[in-house]
Amino acid sequence: MIGGLAGKAIIPVAVTVTGFVIVCCILLYSVMKVDMTANAERQATVLAGTVVKSTRYAMLQSDDENLRDIIANISSQQGVEHVRIFNKKGLIEFSSDQTEIKSFVDKKTAGCIGCHSGPVPTASLGEMEQARQFVNAKGRAVIAITAPIYNEPDCYNAACHFHPPGQKVLGTLDIGLSRHPLQQSLATMRGRMLIFSLMVLVLTVGGVSALLVRSIFGPMRMIKKFCDAVCQGDCKHGLPPFDGQMEELSDSVQKVAGELKKSRIALQEAEVRLSALSGHEADPKNAPTNNEAGRPTEDPRTGNRHGD
Amino acid sequence: MRRGAQPKTRGPGTGMGIESNTAGSPENPCGETEPDALRSAARKRIQQLRTTANRGLWAIALFLVVSIAALNHFSFLPPLPDQIREQLGTPPPAIMISGLLILYSFSSLVLILARMVGDSVSHSGFYHVAYLTGFYCFYNLAGSLEDNFWAVFAAGATILSLESYHLWSWCSRQINIELEELKRLDRIE
Repeated sequence: MIGGLAGKAIIPVAVTVTGFVIVCCILLYSVMKVDMTANAERQATVLAGTVVKSTRYAMLQSDDENLRDIIANISSQQGVEHVRIFNKKGLIEFSSDQTEIKSFVDKKTAGCIGCHSGPVPTASLGEMEQARQFVNAKGRAVIAITAPIYNEPDCYNAACHFHPPGQKVLGTLDIGLSRHPLQQSLATMRGRMLIFSLMVLVLTVGGVSALLVRSIFGPMRMIKKFCDAVCQGDCKHGLPPFDGQMEELSDSVQKVAGELKKSRIALQEAEVRLSALSGHEADPKNAPTNNEAGRPTEDPRTGNRHGD
Repeated sequence: MRRGAQPKTRGPGTGMGIESNTAGSPENPCGETEPDALRSAARKRIQQLRTTANRGLWAIALFLVVSIAALNHFSFLPPLPDQIREQLGTPPPAIMISGLLILYSFSSLVLILARMVGDSVSHSGFYHVAYLTGFYCFYNLAGSLEDNFWAVFAAGATILSLESYHLWSWCSRQINIELEELKRLDRIE
């Protein structure tokens, strides 16, 4: 099959088309994954900004009860893994997880090391740099955003507050969102691309096979049957009309068969004349297998000798 | 004319250093053919073709070794010093490397198919392994090898398997021609 005509025609086409489609699908998936992740991070950053703005008044009023209530409500939302606010020193003041309140965050963790890698921490970050991805203690994949709470004139000018104007960052909001919906979308897309690739493979192999059977193998089978019949001396049946180059091949084969038929008749006549001259009767059974020179005929393709 | 006096000839578009049987029959100075010399030359060519047919598999094996190394982010290599990294500059964005990978895959496949149509073999796939290793390195430097590893692997598997299949089928056909030549020589004797 692999070395045959079908294999030679189908394998290169199937490998080329399917391989190229798979490469394109994987690259497309990779690009879409990056885009979707960036989009999810952007949305999480917007959400973090919304939370900072909605807690701003409670912070200005130093209303801890209200702040705790806002954080509890936000963390009860589906898909929100954690919400916490910690001060400049890293002391967690408010959190959805009551056990971590009044403890220090680890500055060496994935979300903190970005700003705290040097001796002086970075005071401002771009949108994408605020995001980090990790698996939390519950084993869930999380996109977390750290949004700094900057010192504003309203903060350091308020009578009740103690932040000096030189302090740039007052604290940080850390909000973590589940990556489950994103992973689900990516898995669905992956499955669809796999089905698409399989469909391309089936259609390519099927299409090429169908065309080959219709245009090449069917006519070839008929021509072979015709040649076998001619070899056995049956020249009564012709070949049906074909298309294009198969028609040319069929004409050539029929021409060769016609010439062979003429040669056989001439040979038979010559043998009859020869036997009449020599007084012996020619054996018609041997006539078709021997040529004029009396040597056994030879199959040009296989080298087998006929008529020995 | 003696065969030894002729320059080494190659088959039509082979580029593999395989002596073609179309170069002319070895003859003695009197113009008589030497069946034994022809026979041994044909056997030699068959041996060369059998060796050549396996080159594609060696290229695939080498690519698999490189892919295993890439899967581990070339961890067996020492990390690139910061000074060299600075000299190299910012790595190209992953999307640009992906675009080049698509372009490379497409042109390679078209060229292999064209060689199939033209019935010529000039390569065994080792230079494709070099190109694909380059893609692994670029993705690794850009920090996106994890996302794009399978794309490079699929491209390599497709290109190398097609190249190997073409090489194998071409060599098989040439071996058949040589075997027919041997049969013809046997019949002459």
